[in-house]
Amino acid sequence: MPQVSPLAALDDGVLARRIAESGAAAPDSAAEAELYRRLAPRVRLYGLRHLRDRQAAADLGQQVLLMTLERLRAGKVREPERIASFVLGTCRMTVLEMRRGTRRREALLETWGDVAEAFEAPEPVVLAPDRLAGCLEALAERERSVVVLSFFADKQADEVGAELAISAGNVRVIRHRALARLRECMGAGEDGP
Amino acid sequence: MTCRDPIDYETLVAYWLGELPATRESMLEEHLFGCAHCTTRLEGLAALASGVRMAVNGGEVGMFVSEPFVEAMREAGLRLREYRLEPGGSVNCTIRAGDDAVISRLRAPLAGVERLDAVRTRGGGEPEERLADVPFDAETGEVLMLPSAAWLKSMPAFTMRVRLVAVGEAEERSVGDYTFNHSPS
Repeated sequence: MPQVSPLAALDDGVLARRIAESGAAAPDSAAEAELYRRLAPRVRLYGLRHLRDRQAAADLGQQVLLMTLERLRAGKVREPERIASFVLGTCRMTVLEMRRGTRRREALLETWGDVAEAFEAPEPVVLAPDRLAGCLEALAERERSVVVLSFFADKQADEVGAELAISAGNVRVIRHRALARLRECMGAGEDGP
Repeated sequence: MTCRDPIDYETLVAYWLGELPATRESMLEEHLFGCAHCTTRLEGLAALASGVRMAVNGGEVGMFVSEPFVEAMREAGLRLREYRLEPGGSVNCTIRAGDDAVISRLRAPLAGVERLDAVRTRGGGEPEERLADVPFDAETGEVLMLPSAAWLKSMPAFTMRVRLVAVGEAEERSVGDYTFNHSPS
């Protein structure tokens, strides 16, 4: 069972404040590791959503979080209590830079070196492939087609509707029903995946 | 880990697929970055999307698809084997180790058809299976059938018959029968 950090009960802003107050001379490694662990999934999901590429999302995560820690240590985050907003803003800026081809990650890794490897991001959630395949097979034909067409290439309802000659509204209805059935089949609760 | 104002699942799906207006998307991202609970739910959705891609890439799922979907499979680097059948047609077919998927293009007169069912029968006394309301393209007059590649690769020689049935309010009529004589490679 993974160890729960004693810092887990603190909110993001309190952790960020601790990192800022410790500075670069005597960094608060435990607070940095906890904040990194906590924010990594949020940045990775942002990257997946906007870059649609697993490796690019992982690179974004590392770059954004190292930049965040660097700025916190240097006292350059104006409101550490609003660290989530700072990280989101950094994500947006970095995705724009990545699309322009700017590479800042290498320089950050050079600065942080081995320290970066000490930060651990939780592994992405993976669903049991056999079970998911069985649950997909259990859907009605049109439900399965809508779910697969939607998520294989991340297509919006109007695109899927055009491909299947049905309205976008109808796609949303079928998608909603199919996802509810899939989640039930996969054993996901109301708050689960 | 709780959230006082959790994002509903349908909105998370719309966000993930890029369907939300920019301002709504921006507000939702502000919430997600400050909320571990909603992040966990979005992570579940991302895992589902990734699982669907893996199931298709691994040939684990059979279904009826669209032409753009076939193109997307090609763009993803999947190697496809295709068969084209006219109504009443039959084909000797197989799947090789290097094939990722087999697409069968069933041609049929589909103009004016509102709902189409596919009735599958395999030899060996297996019961008939009726697949209701399958997707089709009335303009091109094609139904694209994508059986599970993993299942096909596991099968010995068999014959499968597919009948396409146009279903109307008052009656139904057959628009094509197709025979697949499968042999393992």
